[in-house]
Amino acid sequence: MPAVAVPVSSRPAPLGAAEPSGFAYVVPALLLVIVFFVFPVAALLLRSVTEPAPGLGNYAELFGSTTYLRIFLNTFLVSGLVTLISVTAGFPVAWMLAIMPRRLGRIVFAILILSMWTNLLARTYAWMVLLQRTGVINKTLMAMGVIDKPLELVNNLTGVTIGMTYIMLPFVILPLTGVIRAIDPAILQAAALCGATRAQALRRVLLPLALPGILSGALMVFVMSLGYFVTPALLGGTANMMLAELIAQFVQSLVNWGMGAAAAFALLVVTLGLYALQLRFFGPGRAGGL
Amino acid sequence: MLLNFDGLGAWKWPLVIFTALVSLFLLLPILFIVALSFGSSQWLIFPPPGWTTKWYVELFADPRWIEAAWTSLRIGLVVTVLSVLLGLLASFGLVRGRFRGAETLRALFLTPMILPVVVFAVALYAFALRLGLNGTFAGFVLAHTIVALPFSIIAISGALQGFDQAIEDAAVLCGATPLEAKLRVTLPAISHGLFAAAIFSFLMSWDEVVLAIFMSSPTLQTLPVKIWTTLRQDLTPVIAAASTLLVALTLILMLLAALFRKGDAR
Repeated sequence: MPAVAVPVSSRPAPLGAAEPSGFAYVVPALLLVIVFFVFPVAALLLRSVTEPAPGLGNYAELFGSTTYLRIFLNTFLVSGLVTLISVTAGFPVAWMLAIMPRRLGRIVFAILILSMWTNLLARTYAWMVLLQRTGVINKTLMAMGVIDKPLELVNNLTGVTIGMTYIMLPFVILPLTGVIRAIDPAILQAAALCGATRAQALRRVLLPLALPGILSGALMVFVMSLGYFVTPALLGGTANMMLAELIAQFVQSLVNWGMGAAAAFALLVVTLGLYALQLRFFGPGRAGGL
Repeated sequence: MLLNFDGLGAWKWPLVIFTALVSLFLLLPILFIVALSFGSSQWLIFPPPGWTTKWYVELFADPRWIEAAWTSLRIGLVVTVLSVLLGLLASFGLVRGRFRGAETLRALFLTPMILPVVVFAVALYAFALRLGLNGTFAGFVLAHTIVALPFSIIAISGALQGFDQAIEDAAVLCGATPLEAKLRVTLPAISHGLFAAAIFSFLMSWDEVVLAIFMSSPTLQTLPVKIWTTLRQDLTPVIAAASTLLVALTLILMLLAALFRKGDAR
């Protein structure tokens, strides 16, 4: 690059400085992200206050109508339930996965990865078939005499909750396993030596030590659930929509860009706000699977 | 005590059984699709009254499925190349660069990973409508590269952080040009990061459905879009056959990743 050949001996140290700032490397990716991500998203959000008329009319309609408020409520309710179930069921599994004999642990780990990497639509399809009125679950329960007539498990929020919990579980278990592995077993031994029972050691030592990991995992699942589109659209019913479906419907079926943009902005604010909260309290977390 | 498998005492078996149940909950639906895809019942009766491969025959006889899979593959490969290249360059800049705002830039690059994809999909849909990008190959590639890039940057910059730049400098001192040193010393050393970036980028694009739904046209659609539109009509076992093939592909990728990790652990 430099036209003048500099004797190596005269400048041995600043070889690393051969890339003066390194900014040039970032430019191609930055251009792509600005033109096809930042700009379109900003342009969409702008439409929420300009269409059909300038002002906050779209937001007034969005937050003023009981129909839309119910959709917000549904979204938070399902996301909360999914979070609660996947964290409660995920913690014991993560705990076992952290301390299991290696061979057993590998099997559980492989199942988690297989489930996580299998196509989302394939997994959702499985639940659509399993949960339908004539599906295996209803038939088994009826054969066992637990119920007289089929339960309505799909096309409602029950189906959405089951399907989404299925998808979120690996995202809770994998990071949490790392958190528990990082805890020094000697601390638990100390608790035992000091006379703590297992229940006391769990409640007062293990759970508090794992709490940051549990909370950060819970927040991640909650945020991911809030914006989920595919599973609610396929397992949910038309009567109980969730926020992401509402956004898609405004844009695709109703061609109401103003309202669609306003709903998108609401989702964006909640999502990024919760992520900021997570960064503030737990530091940069690792994305599930990476 | 609680972090020692044999020290769990009376708690051991309940916990092991619970773990087994959750694992089964995760595994059984996948096995269930595989079984259904070979079942003879159009109405997805389980256990199937008989076994057949007719759903696979139907799948391969329908040019729309083949075309969708071919489109997905082409898009996925182009996205993989773009995402790894851009991710590699960006990682060099982010890890080694000394410029103001590097942290903010990193956060910006990772934003497509956390922003609900439906928001981005709707925004890009509006933008693509103006540019005439809807239903084009380039439109799919652009959309998928944006969401694959964060994963690529995480994987590659992680590998690059673990690589001592002094080794690259040593190659330069020994007479290599800076580019040669990067290509022949640094790149092989971070190949596991590049490989992970490639796998994640491909899977991201191959499985992506929300952006694809908005980007697709009747003449150009990816495999997930084809599954999606078919699912909205009925639950035909042909979807089970397609899903089973996707599960098989996942298994192959997992195996590849495991082999690579083994080869990498010198």
